[in-house]
Amino acid sequence: MRVKTLFIVVLCAGLLPIASAEPASVQVTNAWIREVPPAATDTAAYMKIRNLSQTPLQLVGGSSTIARKVEPMVTTKQTRGGHEVLGMETVTGLTIPGRGTLELKPGGDHLMMMGLLSRPKEGDQVKLTLKFSPGDQQADLQIPVSKEPPK
Amino acid sequence: MSERTFYPSFKVQGFNWRIVFAACAIALTVLVAFFLSRYAAYRKLQEQFYGQVLEPAQEGYDFRLIDQNGKAFQLSQLRGKVVLFSFGYTHCPDVCPTTLTDFGKIYRALSENDRERVQVLFISVDSRRDQPETLKNYIPYFDASFLGLTGDANHINEATRAYGASYEFVHHPGEDPDVYLVNHSAYAYLIDPDGKWKAIYDFDQLRETEKVAADIRRVLKSS
Repeated sequence: MRVKTLFIVVLCAGLLPIASAEPASVQVTNAWIREVPPAATDTAAYMKIRNLSQTPLQLVGGSSTIARKVEPMVTTKQTRGGHEVLGMETVTGLTIPGRGTLELKPGGDHLMMMGLLSRPKEGDQVKLTLKFSPGDQQADLQIPVSKEPPK
Repeated sequence: MSERTFYPSFKVQGFNWRIVFAACAIALTVLVAFFLSRYAAYRKLQEQFYGQVLEPAQEGYDFRLIDQNGKAFQLSQLRGKVVLFSFGYTHCPDVCPTTLTDFGKIYRALSENDRERVQVLFISVDSRRDQPETLKNYIPYFDASFLGLTGDANHINEATRAYGASYEFVHHPGEDPDVYLVNHSAYAYLIDPDGKWKAIYDFDQLRETEKVAADIRRVLKSS
């Protein structure tokens, strides 16, 4: 009985990615995840994503072994009394035009990794799966953890 | 009869007008010259500076906060030092660590001698979640010499208002009350060793490590 259940679980786990997702035709460069300072509970992932197809893509989020949620975010700028106020907002998706590039960078659009389950250190590699629409396209990445953008 | 009495008074008035006119012209010239020289001084200073200068430099507001060791802290304690600071919060995953990483690079670009006369501060506007211990845990990650400050909302508001900064908490209905974002000004403020507010940097300017470090060296040299 126990063996049977386990077998079904393994089978499902093996089948799910094949059944639901297809690899997105993107090229990711300059990817890094910010090393989490002590006391901080969230961090961010940055990269350049090039859309190799003609069809516009939407980066709708992702998943990672180190965070509960991975959400696309934009940095908002408002002016108050002549001074700029920066904020962040979760968005449903970040658009990458056909044959275009989306740059995720500090102080700009980024992927917020919320509710950290572990705190990888500089030099570690973290698994991050990006999810795109339309359809259920995804890209599996191994991203280095760093204090600063890669040179 | 009435005309005769009228003319002399007109003459006197005409005579007065000339003096008034001349006085006005002189005053105007002096005033224009004064503002031009002030503007020239500002332009000269701005040419030398990478940051946006405040000319004449105004008194940096002497905020009264609590440091990461739980001690009362006032800006005026740092007379004799150049102070570089910004407002933020520790739960900030993007903007604040970027600013603090920049501060670390700027600080470490200075010579050891200069570093002794520079103090970097980070003022948390999120006193609900950022206790002194939180800051003590967080701030030294960017540089062991950096100091985190916080305080009660009134004292934080006095500080933000004085420097033209602002912030607001963004709660999402249904979320844990401790999970929220804070929109805030992300400028850096430079105070000279006499406590004068010398310059301001916007978020993007801070990426230019060497240029900000050069400003700090100039302020150190001229005081």
